[in-house]
Amino acid sequence: MNINYLAATMVLALTGAFLPVINRLFRISGIQGALISSIGYVVSLFLVLISDKGRHVLKGFFTTDPVSILVGALILVASWMVMLVVYWITEKDKFVNELISALMISTAGALLLLSANNFVSLAISMELMTMPTYLMVLFAFDDKSFEAGVKYFFNGALAVGFMLFGISLLYGMTGSFEFSALVKNLFADPLVALAAVFIFAGFGFKITAFPFHFWGPDVYDGTCPGVAALLTGISKSAAFIGLMRIVYEAIPVVAGHFTLILAIIAALTMTVGNLLALAQKRVSRILAYSSVAHAGYTLVAFAALSVPLSVTGIIYHSVAYVFMKTAAFLCFAVFLFVWGARTMDDYKGLGKREPLLGALFLIFLLSLAGVPPMAGFISKVFVFTAAVDAGMTWLALIGLLNSAFSVAYYIWIAKQMYLEEPTLEKPVNDSPNKNWILLPLAVMAVLLIVFGIWISPVVDTSAFYAAKVGF
Amino acid sequence: MVLLSMILLPVVVAPLAWIGEKFNRDFPKYLSLAVGVFLAFCTAFLIAKYPGNGFAFHEFYRIYSPFDFNLHLAVDGISLVLLGIVAFLAITVTLSSWHIERPGAYFFLILIFLGPMVGVFVSLNLLWFFIFWEFTLVPMFFHIGIWGAENRIYAAMKFFIYTHLASIFLLLGIIVLYLSTHTFEFGKLLNVQLDPSVAKLVWVLMFIGFAVKMPVVPFHTWLPDAHVQAPSPISVFLAGLLLKMGAYGLLRWEIFLFPQTSKFFAPLMAFIAVLTIFYAGFRALAEDHIKRMVAYSSINHMGFVLLGLSALTAAGISAAVYEMVGHALVISLLFMIAGYIHHKTHTWYISELGGIMKKIPGLMTMFVIGVLAAVGLPGTAGFVGELSVMLAAFDYYGWLMIIVPLASALSAGFFMWMLQRAVFGPLREEFKNLKSLTELPLIENIPLALYIGAFILVGVVPSLVFNLYNPVVNAFAQLFQ
Repeated sequence: MNINYLAATMVLALTGAFLPVINRLFRISGIQGALISSIGYVVSLFLVLISDKGRHVLKGFFTTDPVSILVGALILVASWMVMLVVYWITEKDKFVNELISALMISTAGALLLLSANNFVSLAISMELMTMPTYLMVLFAFDDKSFEAGVKYFFNGALAVGFMLFGISLLYGMTGSFEFSALVKNLFADPLVALAAVFIFAGFGFKITAFPFHFWGPDVYDGTCPGVAALLTGISKSAAFIGLMRIVYEAIPVVAGHFTLILAIIAALTMTVGNLLALAQKRVSRILAYSSVAHAGYTLVAFAALSVPLSVTGIIYHSVAYVFMKTAAFLCFAVFLFVWGARTMDDYKGLGKREPLLGALFLIFLLSLAGVPPMAGFISKVFVFTAAVDAGMTWLALIGLLNSAFSVAYYIWIAKQMYLEEPTLEKPVNDSPNKNWILLPLAVMAVLLIVFGIWISPVVDTSAFYAAKVGF
Repeated sequence: MVLLSMILLPVVVAPLAWIGEKFNRDFPKYLSLAVGVFLAFCTAFLIAKYPGNGFAFHEFYRIYSPFDFNLHLAVDGISLVLLGIVAFLAITVTLSSWHIERPGAYFFLILIFLGPMVGVFVSLNLLWFFIFWEFTLVPMFFHIGIWGAENRIYAAMKFFIYTHLASIFLLLGIIVLYLSTHTFEFGKLLNVQLDPSVAKLVWVLMFIGFAVKMPVVPFHTWLPDAHVQAPSPISVFLAGLLLKMGAYGLLRWEIFLFPQTSKFFAPLMAFIAVLTIFYAGFRALAEDHIKRMVAYSSINHMGFVLLGLSALTAAGISAAVYEMVGHALVISLLFMIAGYIHHKTHTWYISELGGIMKKIPGLMTMFVIGVLAAVGLPGTAGFVGELSVMLAAFDYYGWLMIIVPLASALSAGFFMWMLQRAVFGPLREEFKNLKSLTELPLIENIPLALYIGAFILVGVVPSLVFNLYNPVVNAFAQLFQ
């Protein structure tokens, strides 16, 4: 029996759950907390890596295949790095252990979501991933984060409501929770089609697809950036994989009737995201809208689902995205903590003040912009190749033009950091052990470059999944 | 391993320049010089061992075969010529940057620029070619943006966004080509028969990417800004290497790959080339800014390169490659001296200069030699390049090309007029007691002397260059029969 994957999520969630308890009993310091959590992450990562491929857990509820193992391992690494940075930047009196606890439980939910194999397990794992984040968003303890928290809670509740309503409609009409039940009966009854729309709307909120993207930038901007790193990077990538598992059960139907809608949503999502990002003055909002745009790129691959390359596009973009977006927000978080830099004007000359951190931030921004040799480039190549292969050259052209224009705001941040004279004189928090915090970010940068050149792990995994769904 | 080490070594040692600066301010430039010498030795070794025809020194690094995403490196005569330019300019640019500010970051960027630049010229895998091609933008952006002149930030942003946008079309062309052929390998692409309409689409998409880099009218507007704002040594890289990437890409990945489609578009290329030659010539004539004038003359020369390529004959392509070499050497010299003139007189404008020959005869003599080479004085590379391009074009297009020699007269016109106003004539009052108006120190004269020596050498003995790649060009020219 394949218990390892389930055990991995359990280890992670339980480490998270006991962390605040341990803190109450023994008053642990930040470093001790980071060590304890790291042990949880390492054990969990080990268990994920040794779990059997192609086996079911809990009889049809969860399945572990190369996709969940690969993306799961990468999500764990990203979440681990978030944990380290959050410990470092969050002051001790702010319930940091509770925050980390929520982070780990949410990551456990993301792991489950990657392997969810029917609508019940999907809904459960999605809730497990989302619930702790409602708390986390409030963590900055100021008015903006309360506003963000309320906004996030209502939007999240709405999304879950949509999704559960869709699932219950489906169950009412077909008597099944299987992904395939949705497909087989999609046009048998208009109510099933309605269920599909509700389920997609639920996902649309999670991945900030147009027109469900409005909450995203407000929340990512309002909360503390460590939490935004989790929400934009890890939760969204997991949601993409979850959506992929539903959609690819339904290839013949979806490909026949919905590609155009998906393509239009993709085109609108990336265009809206990029245009609004160009107009922003705050770096966190630029990153937030760029995250909307990246949802659009992934949806391009979804729209191209009639060809096997689209699987590679979706998985590769999720993998690249989880590192570059998480890491970009973490760089922002460190800049915010050390220099109090929020706006583009604050970023002037910061690259001269923090050469290494600035260089790392630059790598992540260039990867988001799609400059080789980072993973963001090769993932875009796969996404747009899939679109051209599926006969949607127009969509690929829109995407590529979007990508070209998005360079303007990524390079604008680089310009502020390196080409302008500094405006901020003194750091807000000058920590003596600042260089240590560069280590997690450097790990992510190295992984981004490695995955930008060594493409076989992700491509082989995608090929496996493509074969499994019948290409 | 030679080719891979030429790509990797500069990139791998680059951080040392940054770190080493803290211990010794002189370390980065010596490191960069050492890498330049290393590249020169490797190139010399390759040229010595090159069998004379076809691709040689194949290196194949398997990364992912199902998508043909493998690093396949090899050189032929044309690549060797361009590698020679890379190595030569790496050395001269380092020498010219001897007294640059913040040497650590500067030479770090130069080193991470050189590796991919070698990669562009030796990669036989189209996707890797693109990866190297695109990465060269990043160090150039910072070079222009940090060490540039007053308006550097605007120029750097424009340079990056403009050329990245062009690369997007190139990438789309590569994607379409891959989907029709399922390979990125040059050797395999050479043997596939593409549907003519697909071939035309791919050709146009890729041409946009290459045309912006070359650049040709009407895609040239980034270049004058980038050149004027960039520090002079970086202008040398821009003119000597970045523009060559465009011409090389056009030759290697379009003309050699799609002979029939190129034949179809040859009149278009010739039209754009003649347009570029004349437009840039007239712009240079009207230009008061001395470096901008040199930039337009650089565009003018790239028009000749495109004209040679568009003839699609062995003679035309040979002439175009030769013109690339001549352009790299001559225009580099002119950019360097234009920068020095500004440095010494504190003005960019021809109308504010005058008679400086009297104060700095040594430097200005070199300037005059460079100008004469650019105009096409016999005995220099400029003469051989322009003459052979014109002959090839004349051979192919006939009397239609009778207007091209007029362009040569035009370029002679704007250069001579500039010399007359800026260099000769009576010395202006304000320069008489200008302390900064002195000859260059020795170290900065060395690169200039090297440029002059090189373009006279290849001008007097053109076979030095021609012989390297003539068999290759002749072999490919069979395709156009």
